[in-house]
Amino acid sequence: MASDQTPKFSVSDFIAVVNQSLEYSFGTVEIEGEVASFKVNQGKWVFFDIKDATGSVNCFMSLFQLRVPVEDGMKVVVRAVPKITAWGKFSLTIQSIRPSGEGSLKKSFELLKAKLDKEGLFSLERKRSLPEIPEHIAIISSTSAAGYADFIKILNDRWGGLKVDVAHVQVQGDSAPEQMIRAISYFNSQEILPEVLMIIRGGGSADDLAAFNDEPLVRAIAASRIPTLVGVGHEVDVSLADMVADVRAATPSNAAQIVVPDRGELIKMLGHLVRRVLVRTEGAVDDNLREVATKLRQGLTMFDTRVDLLQSQLVTSRQVMGAYNPRAVLSRGYAIVRGEVSKGGVIRIEQQERIITAEVKDVEAI
Amino acid sequence: MSKQSEQKTVSEKMDELSALVAWFEGDEFELEQALETYGKAEKLAAEIEHDLTNLKNEITVLKEKFDA
Repeated sequence: MASDQTPKFSVSDFIAVVNQSLEYSFGTVEIEGEVASFKVNQGKWVFFDIKDATGSVNCFMSLFQLRVPVEDGMKVVVRAVPKITAWGKFSLTIQSIRPSGEGSLKKSFELLKAKLDKEGLFSLERKRSLPEIPEHIAIISSTSAAGYADFIKILNDRWGGLKVDVAHVQVQGDSAPEQMIRAISYFNSQEILPEVLMIIRGGGSADDLAAFNDEPLVRAIAASRIPTLVGVGHEVDVSLADMVADVRAATPSNAAQIVVPDRGELIKMLGHLVRRVLVRTEGAVDDNLREVATKLRQGLTMFDTRVDLLQSQLVTSRQVMGAYNPRAVLSRGYAIVRGEVSKGGVIRIEQQERIITAEVKDVEAI
Repeated sequence: MSKQSEQKTVSEKMDELSALVAWFEGDEFELEQALETYGKAEKLAAEIEHDLTNLKNEITVLKEKFDA
């Protein structure tokens, strides 16, 4: 028989008191177990059981809270508030769910990868190139993370004069994807857009990097108006955020190497360029000098030829003139006769060495 | 109106230098202009080297909170 101190409730009050007690006792809990009887109703509500070898609890959540693919048999950790429904059914109202253990993480990764791949989010045609020398970049990272420090060090070593806006966000844990999405949205809503949007995080366990396989985050990266560069984890780590980005860097340090050129290399290249134009100018001067020398040589040759020709013509002329020289004729024994060639006329006979004056005795035709 | 040299970014100066180098290697090259153009290229290269050596990145951590 119940004593007078036995509490009495209406059904609704009892449910409310139990829920209050649950809230005082537990608040929010995390429970690890295996998913069973997973189903989505009306495209809005998700129902499943979480169980282990000897127990099972009903779970309920809205579809938009489900950020990773889940299916029966997957080991998960749910973050939830325990409640009794108005119908007296005990249930966990799920706030978040994440795969647990290597097998489930991999399974969830593969399921989402296949889904996004089917939508073409990873296709090469979507990839945009980054500016060769950006002037304004945006970084989404945790400023206290080692990966961020590595990135900034290498960025400053390699380049200067860059405007860098940094959004400090969580890069692991339940709130990380939503914070990164807000930062992406912030940069994409700026009047003057940065030229590159970078998401940076150093290495970590698969669980630490799980935020980068969050479906809404991956979709936000894909939808960014600003070209994206994602450098998360170590070289061997591959996330869906990497795959959907326009450019993937193996590490944060590699991201710095990709986004800006190396000033040392560029200074070397400048020296090379200046030498190249100097060589070109010197070459042109040499070409001109060679051309002038060639023309001079050609002119000289033509002059010599002309002189030779004139000399040859002179010799010929001299020979001709020599042949016509009356003295040469006289030297061969001929004589020049001048005067009146008629009977009784006086003539002068000029020989090589003498001139004879004579009288013509007779003139006969031959 | 074209920007003053000191207002130009490294990227713009690099483009200008590339154009000068292209002139040297193109058909429009003339020896009479080469000396002046070479002087320009050499000065521009020195300016870029100075910029590259001395410019610092301007890093701003935003005050905006993204946790809510």
